[in-house]
Amino acid sequence: MTRTQAAPLRPDSSVEVAPVGDRGRRFRRALGYGFLTAYALLMFVPFAWTVITSFKTQPDSVRMTFIPDPITLEGWQRAFNELNPPVMQLFLNSAIIAGTVTITNVVLGSMAGYAFARLRFPGREFLFLLVLGTLMIPDQLRMVPVYQIMQTLGLSRGDLQYAGVILILAVSATSVFLLRQYFLTIPRDLEEAAKIDGAGFFTTFWRVMLPLASPALAAVAILSFQGAWNGFFWPLIIMSERDNWTLPLGLTQFRFEFFTQWPPLMAVVALATLPILVLYLFFQRYFVEGIAASGVKG
Amino acid sequence: MAAAATRRRRFVIRYGSGREIFAGYALIAIPLILFLVLNIGSILFALVISVFEWRFRGGAGEFVGPGNYERLLADRTFHKAIYNVVTYALWVVPLQMALGLLLAVIVNAKIRGQTFFRAAFYFPAIASSAAITVLFIFIMQPEGLFNGLRAALGLNPIFEALGFGPRHNWLGSASTALGSIMALNIWTTSGTMMLFYLASLQSISREVYEAARIDGANAWHTFWRITFPLLKPAHFFVATVSVIGALQLFDQAYIGGGSTGDPNFSLMSIVLYLYNAAFKQVNLDYAAAVGIVLFVIIFGATLVQRQLFGRTPAWQ
Repeated sequence: MTRTQAAPLRPDSSVEVAPVGDRGRRFRRALGYGFLTAYALLMFVPFAWTVITSFKTQPDSVRMTFIPDPITLEGWQRAFNELNPPVMQLFLNSAIIAGTVTITNVVLGSMAGYAFARLRFPGREFLFLLVLGTLMIPDQLRMVPVYQIMQTLGLSRGDLQYAGVILILAVSATSVFLLRQYFLTIPRDLEEAAKIDGAGFFTTFWRVMLPLASPALAAVAILSFQGAWNGFFWPLIIMSERDNWTLPLGLTQFRFEFFTQWPPLMAVVALATLPILVLYLFFQRYFVEGIAASGVKG
Repeated sequence: MAAAATRRRRFVIRYGSGREIFAGYALIAIPLILFLVLNIGSILFALVISVFEWRFRGGAGEFVGPGNYERLLADRTFHKAIYNVVTYALWVVPLQMALGLLLAVIVNAKIRGQTFFRAAFYFPAIASSAAITVLFIFIMQPEGLFNGLRAALGLNPIFEALGFGPRHNWLGSASTALGSIMALNIWTTSGTMMLFYLASLQSISREVYEAARIDGANAWHTFWRITFPLLKPAHFFVATVSVIGALQLFDQAYIGGGSTGDPNFSLMSIVLYLYNAAFKQVNLDYAAAVGIVLFVIIFGATLVQRQLFGRTPAWQ
């Protein structure tokens, strides 16, 4: 892959090698790694602090100590018992929405991505540009009209609010775009072979193309799940029923209910971040590649 | 007759058989309907709403023309929102880009633990804005980690000289609230910018660097004379994403300062203003007008940047 490039950390090796320069380089190198490690720590410390604080008592929570004294589950218990709606309900609501949105993005995104990449039909380029153009439209501009549309469809009240949010997030232009780009990179030979065997377009899509696109499907699944799980704006607009709230909405409210009672508040923060953290630990590659690919122009 | 047959054959060659056309439309149907109704259609709908007196239930009332826009552009709070968001963008965009580029160059170099550092730098971007903002509020409160750490590191004299006491309430004072939110977002999104830059860095061919090395260019020159200019399309993309994100500031401002952008409107943003108009004052037509103005601002900013960075060069 990539070799030494213009990295300030690692000076060019073609520079003459003198003992003194060598020591200087080693020193600079150590300094470089020191800086990198410190910066990496800066990324983690606030989260570690959250978890630590959630196991502290209230008076202990404002002390600058890294080991809770005493270690207590009180914060977690309060987070689970004192809130209305209960935290587990919010967790479930978030899971329902994020799970559904992940499935719809993978299914609808791959269907449209395949069509835009491979099938020839009139208006294809124009329609694809139309889809990409929606990335230019800020969500906030859509706030009032989309709310009115949901109201007209009856999706702004009661349990149908779930359907409203899911419909808004059902498929993103990014999902369609990412999958189209991936399908474009798959060699045509396999499809030709399937065609000769008498497979139709839908069979070819389902049996040949989808299995080949699994890395891209995984990236889209991860990005969609993360987006929906973390999403704040649309649930805030649509979910006026307290019982339907997602974790981010609840968290905003609990901030005022718990006010400065940090241990239970930090327990909720930790709980809200946990699923994404687990996904990130296992599927870091797909996060990174998905984000990077969505930024590369087609 | 022969001409018609030729035309049909040409059509089939260009677009495939009727079956292929049908399959194409069938596969894009649902996403397309959603995009047409909820995206494209909603812009037009917003335009319509903004020029009528629009009731929460019941829809269009009297036609008011540009009245909402005139009122909006004269409103002091809206001016404050624009001022805040522009200030925010002027700080956050350059810092985010510089930090993103620096991290990308570092992670792209041959260093030990490359994967680890890449994962670490992107880490703050994975959490939700709500979780990270509440966590940030905790860290920045008077008895929080930030004030504790700067005391422990002996940095308090510097802060004292800048006029901040040892128990300064960062999000609670009008003078530092916006700056704190800037720091929060630079911290959380620089990893994303790093990934955007990284993708472009990896697409630069190694031969260019080989040539530079043979010519005796050092790392510093290679970066400024070769890498930086070759990244022009990436600069445009990152700048655009960053500016759009800055103009749409909402979650952190709302969670940090409530719907009025406390303290003293220091966190009032355009989108917060829009949200208030729609859901606190229930003035939908006015809110729709705010949305249209925001769209015009974002679109204008993107066009300006395109001029600034030029068109994508031929070698990309």
